[in-house]
Amino acid sequence: MTNDEIKDLVLDIIEGIDDEADFASLDPDQPLREQLDLDSMDFLDIVMELRKRHQLQIPEQDYPNLATLNSCVTYLAPLLKDV
Amino acid sequence: MKIPVLVIGGGLSGIAAAIRIARFAPDVQILEQHSRLGGLNSYFYRNQTLFETGLHAITNYAEAGDKKAPLNRLLRQLKLRRREISFCQQLESRVEFYGHETLRFSNQFELLDSEVHSKFPQAYGPFRQLIAFIDEFDPFAPAPFRSAKTYLSELLGNRLLVDMLLCPLMFYGSSYENDMDLSQFAIMFRAIYIEGMFRPKGSIKDFLDLLTSHYKLMGGSIRTKCQVKKILHCKGQVTGVELNSGETIECDHLLSTIGSDETMALLEDAPAKSMKGDTRLGFIETIYELKRDEADSLPTDTTIIFYNKGENFNYSSPDDYIDNKSGVICFPGNFSGLPAKEKKEIRFTHLANYSKWKKLASDPEAYLAKKFATSKESRHLLEPFIGRFNHNIVFENTFTPVTIERYTSKRKGAIYGNPVKIKDGNIGYKNLFIAGTDQGFLGIIGSMLSGVSIVNQHILPKL
Ligand SMILES: Cc1cc2nc3c(=O)[nH]c(=O)nc-3n(C[C@H](O)[C@H](O)[C@H](O)COP(=O)(O)OP(=O)(O)OC[C@H]3O[C@@H](n4cnc5c(N)ncnc54)[C@H](O)[C@@H]3O)c2cc1C
Repeated sequence: MTNDEIKDLVLDIIEGIDDEADFASLDPDQPLREQLDLDSMDFLDIVMELRKRHQLQIPEQDYPNLATLNSCVTYLAPLLKDV
Repeated sequence: MKIPVLVIGGGLSGIAAAIRIARFAPDVQILEQHSRLGGLNSYFYRNQTLFETGLHAITNYAEAGDKKAPLNRLLRQLKLRRREISFCQQLESRVEFYGHETLRFSNQFELLDSEVHSKFPQAYGPFRQLIAFIDEFDPFAPAPFRSAKTYLSELLGNRLLVDMLLCPLMFYGSSYENDMDLSQFAIMFRAIYIEGMFRPKGSIKDFLDLLTSHYKLMGGSIRTKCQVKKILHCKGQVTGVELNSGETIECDHLLSTIGSDETMALLEDAPAKSMKGDTRLGFIETIYELKRDEADSLPTDTTIIFYNKGENFNYSSPDDYIDNKSGVICFPGNFSGLPAKEKKEIRFTHLANYSKWKKLASDPEAYLAKKFATSKESRHLLEPFIGRFNHNIVFENTFTPVTIERYTSKRKGAIYGNPVKIKDGNIGYKNLFIAGTDQGFLGIIGSMLSGVSIVNQHILPKL
């Protein structure tokens, strides 16, 4: 997957969690949770969706790597390079 | 046979938990002993009319935009769209301590605020402090029991106000006699006074049907008329369940929503656990169906009255069959936007003594006669306050703690379960957890959130 595809994947997952999520003013370097009003329960859904769609097992200690859109890309790029 | 994840109990906590699992792993099955789902919150038919069993009002009302509100979080977690449910908000409710004071409240918190301001002016400053405290407080952080009554009495310095504020919160969510845990108090205060109450436009059956079809679409399955007799386990690990029929089902994960003691009782040869907190609060409820009568003076603008007629408010298991000195009067038709029905309904709910009813139940005729007698007494007591309706009754049905026990297998028919809650759902097994009533979140939204949060904590990360 290219970086842009990974971004789309993450945003698609978030849209599935909250269909009213507003991406227009999203800053890719700021935490997703605050910007989109997600709580820890919603956050778990991102992890679970990545597992369901791409069989990725993300250990709990790695969750902080998914904090911002750009950090998601950095973290997921090597894991999804063959997809 | 093997099913990776099993959920015992098809009440609201079990259904919510199972939907949550099915979203990510469709190999999940609900095992429910009855032919119908819903548990405490179900329905029955009499004279071709559907009666709801456990619904006065749903707490935790929230507007669509409020993403952090428990109701909206729950819907998101279950992937239910708000527009699939029509929300009818309460009109106005009140706490009525006859001969003392009245506090009106609605889904606009300002109403309760102004009532406290005008009726308890000296306690108003401290009341605002209480609101600020509740705003800041994290009721979900693990903490030992702290008495809400002591906290409130010290802060507000007015016993009547303390009792009046506690009355609805206790009736709608306390398994504890004459007090509440401060965390539970904060949860219920938000749920009832700050967020408020509503009901769906449809019946609880419509709501259960919506949940069930949603769950099945995700791939989950349900087995009704399927009572779990034993939980099979070995060295702290559950291996499966045995049904009443003798059939066994193996599983990797088991979630039980039937109560903590009730679950322990299914674990054969488990090390004996001391039965902590054995006081159970029983309730009695009478549903009256009434002919429409334009001449009756029953309130049309009031949804629920939480009342007390005693000198002091006493929320404890009564010595007699029932304690009608306090209780809840619900007018299920009085919600905003609810289509008018051909008949009216009133519900009376009081605390009741399980042992007395249990003893009487061995003599069905006396049991039935007592149900009629207590309902009549409550009516005589309350008609002078709400208006006469005796002459318009077309049907009445009373359930006692024995009915609840028979129907849901809850110990002593206690709707709110064990006073000792197990907040993390852990009862000492690697792959068995409890959710629902004895986990600690009570009521419809509470029990559903309980199912969701235990699955999030203990099951999803391990799937
Ligand atoms: C009269 C009344 C009025 C209420 N009013 C309101 C209200 O207005 N607002 C509100 O929010 N809440 C209300 N409640 C409370 C609310 O209904 C409950 O808190 C909630 O439904 C509890 O859900 P639960 O899943 O935890 O438990 P339950 O509903 O008890 O679910 C447990 C399920 O497990 C099944 N079961 C038990 N043992 C076994 C076994 N061995 N094998 C298989 N299945 C088994 C039972 O049959 C049951 O279906 C009311 C309750 C009652 C009774």
